[in-house]
Amino acid sequence: MKAHLGAALATAAVLGAAGCGGGGDEAAAPAVTHAATTAATTAEAPPATTAAVPAPVEIRISVVGGRPEGGIRRETLQQGDRVVLVVESDAGGPVHLHGYDLERDVAPGKPARLEFVASLVGRFEVELEDASVQIADLEVRP
Amino acid sequence: MTTALLAHGIGGVRDLPVPDWMFSWGAATVLVLSFLALGTLWRSPLLAAQAPGRPLPDPASRLLLGRPLRLAAQAFSAALLGLVFATALAGEPDPTENLAPTFVWVVFWLGLVPVTVLLGDVWRVLNPWRAVADAGVRLLERGGREARPLLEYPERLGRWPAAGALFCFAAFELAYREPSSPHALALAIALYSYVTWTGMAVYGREAWLRGGEAFSVYFGLLARISPLAVRDGKVVARLPLSGLAGAERTPGTLAFVAVMLGSVAFDGVSRSSSWVDLVARVEGPYVLERPGLAEALVTGLSLLGLAGGVGLVAVAYLTATAIARRTVNAAAPLADQFLLSLVPIALVYAVAHYFSLLVVQGQFALPLASDPFGRGWDLLGAAGVQPNLNPLSPNTVWYVQVGALVAGHVAGLAVAHDRAITAFTERGPALRSQYAMLGLMVLYTVGGLWLLSRR
Repeated sequence: MKAHLGAALATAAVLGAAGCGGGGDEAAAPAVTHAATTAATTAEAPPATTAAVPAPVEIRISVVGGRPEGGIRRETLQQGDRVVLVVESDAGGPVHLHGYDLERDVAPGKPARLEFVASLVGRFEVELEDASVQIADLEVRP
Repeated sequence: MTTALLAHGIGGVRDLPVPDWMFSWGAATVLVLSFLALGTLWRSPLLAAQAPGRPLPDPASRLLLGRPLRLAAQAFSAALLGLVFATALAGEPDPTENLAPTFVWVVFWLGLVPVTVLLGDVWRVLNPWRAVADAGVRLLERGGREARPLLEYPERLGRWPAAGALFCFAAFELAYREPSSPHALALAIALYSYVTWTGMAVYGREAWLRGGEAFSVYFGLLARISPLAVRDGKVVARLPLSGLAGAERTPGTLAFVAVMLGSVAFDGVSRSSSWVDLVARVEGPYVLERPGLAEALVTGLSLLGLAGGVGLVAVAYLTATAIARRTVNAAAPLADQFLLSLVPIALVYAVAHYFSLLVVQGQFALPLASDPFGRGWDLLGAAGVQPNLNPLSPNTVWYVQVGALVAGHVAGLAVAHDRAITAFTERGPALRSQYAMLGLMVLYTVGGLWLLSRR
């Protein structure tokens, strides 16, 4: 249960820290995407200017019949990593990353895409919220 | 944010597993300390002689135990119970915006542990159920009636009712899906209040607090570690752990201590990948079509796991004391003799598992107290306080976890050793009785370390 409450409370704080609740997250995510694509396009011309932006870590998970393919995905990340989590599912509903409190909807044929910077250290779970099925376990190390 | 969204989550910020090298060093330290202990510990009993302690100066005792302070603490605590019940019942259903979940699971359940170990049995004064019962008795007596228990508490029940209640509390915490749901908490508080006041009315306040009220027994056992205690109406300072001297013959105490240890151990197991994978396999086929069945299966599985953890702790202890009895050809079973040496181990299990949670989530108590119902109030001017979610480095957490378990091991050994040289007049049997106890302590400690190092 500690973990339940932890999730809930951490969630509130992350939301609070984002300044304006869920809206803050929504606004931040596209900005990151934008920065990444700019980096990719400009990389061809002047390579020196983009060296500071490492490629994001991409994690793809596919959910079939309410269960993650290949079992619960376990990934280890470094603090500060930029992460893109893509979840495909044959059933719809919200995908929730605990602790960071990011949530995106997934639908058949429409993957959920969660982008974030791994700023908090610890272990975090990714869940299909409606069915409360855990699909991934992300470990962020300092 | 809805309740369902949060309450179904299994993890927020969780501790990283203790690295393997630290696990190995911790385990090796435990082994070396254990063997050193066998040869070097004291030769005549120490703790029992220290247990009475030295009284504090009279004015300090009078102030600390005086009626004004007690009444103030009781009034405060009873009001707090009322407030928490009201927020659980009528506040915002989102557990992050309601005071009740944080208060019950973090401030009360985790926060009172260090306070009790440092300052002694403060729960005796703070217990809100007792406060209300005391007030009720005063009212009755003022009305000229006598408040007498209906029945005499059956001595053979001992601490069994409290052990049962603690098990239910642990099941609510670890097996039920939504323990942080305010409405579930309101129901739990109502139920527990009813049972507690009924128990007190039937058997008398003191009898029920000794054997039936789970939190009194829990904090009472932990308070025996404390350097402060109350004796003959005076506050005394004593050697820490000396309150654990002596055999423990009250029935149900082993069950109670086994629930203390086993529930925390199961909490650790339930966060490991193997357990999470097991849960996924069990509920997997039903999550989409029959979510109710999936939930029931997971709750049942968790209950089994919890009962299994408690059972393992108890069986390990009974086995160790049975072996010890054979080793020394003791005339009577030794299970009563060494029971209290498990209390420091139960304490450090709790510290190792919940210390970071207390530090991180405890910070939320202030803003929530400022807006207990989640209605946007700011009673204390603290609603905007931003807690630090990563206040502890993983290294700090690991050192505290491993350090606590090793220290608990040493404390447990010391208490058991002291008991052995008291119970056996000859040094030979005293030492030989400790081989099995030593094995048991190593099992608990290395097992605890192992749990912390699992992913």
